[in-house]
Amino acid sequence: MVIARRVARLVFVVFVVTFLTFFLLDRAPGDPAELKAGLNATPEVVAEIRAELGLDDPLFVRYLDWLAGAIRLDFGESLVTEGFTSWDLIREALPKTLELMILAELMAIGIAVPLAIAAARRPGGVLDRVTSAGAFGLLALPSFVLGIYLSYVVGVQLGWLPTIVDDLPGLNDDPLENLRQMFLPSLTLALALVAVYLRLLRSDLIDTLQQDYVMLAQARGLSERRILWRHALRPSSLNLTTAIGLNVAGLIGGAFIIEVLFAINGMGRLTILRVAQEDFPVVTAVVALLTVAYVTVNFIVDLLYRVIDPRIRDGVA
Amino acid sequence: MASPDMSATDQPSPPVSRSTSVFRLAFGPVVWLSIFWIALLVFAAVFRDVLPLRDPDELGIRTREVEKFESPGWNAFFGGDSQGRDVFSRVVWGARPALILGVSATVIAALVGSIVGMAAGYLRGRVDLVTSVLIDIALAFPVLVLLITVRASFGNSMFVFVILFSVTGIPPYARIVRGATLSLAEREFVDAAAALGANRRRIVLRELAPNIALPVLSFAFIGFAIVIVAEGGLAFIGLSLDEITWGKLISEGTGDIQNAAHVALLPATTMFLTILAFNLLGDAIRSIVAPRQVLTQRQLSVDGERPDTAPTEVESNGTAPHEDRRVLDIVDLHTKLHTPLGDVRAVDGVTLHVDRGEALGIVGESGSGKTMLLRSIVGTFALADVSRSGTVDVAGVDMLRADPATVRHALGTRIGMVSQDPLTALNPVRRIETQLVEPMRVHLGLDKAAARARVIELLRSVGLPDPERRLRAYPHELSGGMRQRVTIAMALVNDPELLLADEPTTALDVTVQRQLLELLGELRRERTMSMVLVTHDLAVVKGYTDRVAIMYGGRVVESGPTESLFAQPRHRYTVALMQSVPDLSLPSHSELEVIDGLPPSLVDPPAGCRFAARCSSATDICRTDTPVREHVDSSHWFRCHHPVEPGELASVPVQIAETSS
Repeated sequence: MVIARRVARLVFVVFVVTFLTFFLLDRAPGDPAELKAGLNATPEVVAEIRAELGLDDPLFVRYLDWLAGAIRLDFGESLVTEGFTSWDLIREALPKTLELMILAELMAIGIAVPLAIAAARRPGGVLDRVTSAGAFGLLALPSFVLGIYLSYVVGVQLGWLPTIVDDLPGLNDDPLENLRQMFLPSLTLALALVAVYLRLLRSDLIDTLQQDYVMLAQARGLSERRILWRHALRPSSLNLTTAIGLNVAGLIGGAFIIEVLFAINGMGRLTILRVAQEDFPVVTAVVALLTVAYVTVNFIVDLLYRVIDPRIRDGVA
Repeated sequence: MASPDMSATDQPSPPVSRSTSVFRLAFGPVVWLSIFWIALLVFAAVFRDVLPLRDPDELGIRTREVEKFESPGWNAFFGGDSQGRDVFSRVVWGARPALILGVSATVIAALVGSIVGMAAGYLRGRVDLVTSVLIDIALAFPVLVLLITVRASFGNSMFVFVILFSVTGIPPYARIVRGATLSLAEREFVDAAAALGANRRRIVLRELAPNIALPVLSFAFIGFAIVIVAEGGLAFIGLSLDEITWGKLISEGTGDIQNAAHVALLPATTMFLTILAFNLLGDAIRSIVAPRQVLTQRQLSVDGERPDTAPTEVESNGTAPHEDRRVLDIVDLHTKLHTPLGDVRAVDGVTLHVDRGEALGIVGESGSGKTMLLRSIVGTFALADVSRSGTVDVAGVDMLRADPATVRHALGTRIGMVSQDPLTALNPVRRIETQLVEPMRVHLGLDKAAARARVIELLRSVGLPDPERRLRAYPHELSGGMRQRVTIAMALVNDPELLLADEPTTALDVTVQRQLLELLGELRRERTMSMVLVTHDLAVVKGYTDRVAIMYGGRVVESGPTESLFAQPRHRYTVALMQSVPDLSLPSHSELEVIDGLPPSLVDPPAGCRFAARCSSATDICRTDTPVREHVDSSHWFRCHHPVEPGELASVPVQIAETSS
């Protein structure tokens, strides 16, 4: 029941966001028909194309048409690249952005969780102070500034890793080279998340570590490591899970910037290029997919709650 | 990169007067540096035209004043860019658009957000729902995508940018203000004032303003930083203002990172420092609203060497000490909690022992140190800096000074512990089986199947119906009584010699209480297990223990065989406790409230007898000299200058006997 209501709300959000995008791009200067017809087209030809594209229909009708197609991943032809659909272009770019985001998320969790546990062991201790200050500093570093710093130090001064992604091989073809090139971009994107995750998990862990059941686990002679990882981590990770979900939107924005900085041909560069070219079917498709992705991730997070804390599943507490 | 987190924790004591000391706490040197940096930016933004700077668009490659990619130096502080333009001039020039954009977008977003938040929080119901759905949508919308589309539609004037950043900035303010309004509107005084005929809306508004001003102001600084970052992000993907902005400078310099890193690094660092300054200031303001909790370190230390005279038979009843009979032997145990307010002497010189198969009751009000005594035995304290001295031996293991692995093994195999509240004693996210099996596998090295078989048998012996099925359950799926049976089973998992029970039945209702006490007694006899039963309820002690120790102010004030102590209580506090045993018609877990006054502070405990302040028989000597132990017989003793004489209060023990039957 709760799940059904949640789904309804999410579907509603997807509709509103896609309609809004549709509406905004419709208001944008630039006429798709003129664009498609080319520079030397006569007004008659333009009018013909306009009718063909259905641009004379009212906005709402066009939105429903688009929606009917979108459900089958048919987002229409690109106006600029002859013979390519929007989906063709997206399918080319999507894997790189996805890889970037997933790598970043994994790195962020992989760095933040052990650090948070180490910091929460001794709140106010040296490690806790250092990580708190570090997290505060990281929060003040926009991804592009951080990316420049990392490129400069690791790429230019130390010369360890490439500062731009050049002719990225597929993850299946040459995983090592792929990861070597994606390392700096992913790390840059990850570090901003680390600060957020670290702060949240640390303070939730400190709360958990004061619970009776942790005290009793200690009294049972279990080692500190076991208590931290097996007893305290899971009940402390609800807020972290929420943050992971909510951060997907920010992560998408961050990925766009990282793609520009490191020259990755992903969704971000695709979008920026197509906005400049006024290739709006592609832009609308990207926005729609990103919204669905965001909403889906947050729905999965909702479900994850129930796995993490069985009390939520049963509607207690 | 020091943050106020550090300056806050450095303060030794929490603030007493909010207005003065909190300001000092929040505004350390780092914050003043931030204010200075922001002042510098404002100065640059206002006076950029009259400052003796080069024209930021002047091409050095033409004028020969600045060379292409000139390194930073006296000629051009931040060096030259790819066309010989003075990077320092350009950075100074960028301060103005940054401030105009940041300030106006922040002010608009904060105002609109506050109004929306107040409406949602005050009107609640449908308005609240609509707002929360709107916020959902706003959060779901990839902000950068919105910016791209809107900018493509409406151009890139400062006006468009201000509107863009204002709109996208609204949700967090709305959320903060909604929260503050909700909590305020729910407070009783609003209803009370409304009942007296005052205008409800006016009350909320008048009360609200001061309550939301600081949180909103605090977030505004962080919001400003977010605007700066967003502009930079947009500039980075080629969608910035038509002016020189920091984002644009960084973006232009990125391509030359290999050969002239300063062109990107210096504007980037300017932006970083600006964001850091605003975040620090916002954080400092927030710590005025919600002063940061001063965390003590989680630390457990031992003071002093093991005394030479350790485990001595002080309470011997004539026979020689039998070390192998001793399950628990505590000598002169002191436990200090180091807190910002001073050292709490939670346990202050306690000596006691428990023999094999014996049950010792420890009785006292809350704050008497009885729970801390138990925790001192096992060495677990939540978030505290604790030091212990003296000796605690459990079945021959020195719990204070043995190496950690030995202590953990002793904890796992020789001691079992049951705590007060079965609701919080079990980990809510782990199955009963996982929790019960774990100590067997860790300490005894049993395999899963063997451990499981033992657990099922154990659950049956504590009277849990259908144990196989319960193993799969989570704690919340069991009733309170069942949960306490599980926690008892958990304590017995590795067949301990000593059971420590801290008010094991206080949180349960009377019938379940009795059942569980009976069960504990049975289990104890079957296993010849010793027990320490901590309680504030004398009736519990009477029926289920062999000896009793009465605790007050961190010390044992009277101790003796249960029967002797009930028949002939000597300490005035013991008598007071007996007289305050709750009426049978009341639930027996209600706190003892009949003794006037409160237990003494253990930070700076009074000299002499700690009960003196609440004792009607106290004289001057009670307030100066700590009473020494006086023996009624070899096993019953007390510390009191004016003990109760036999016959003085004959009726009291009878009353107790009735309660416990």
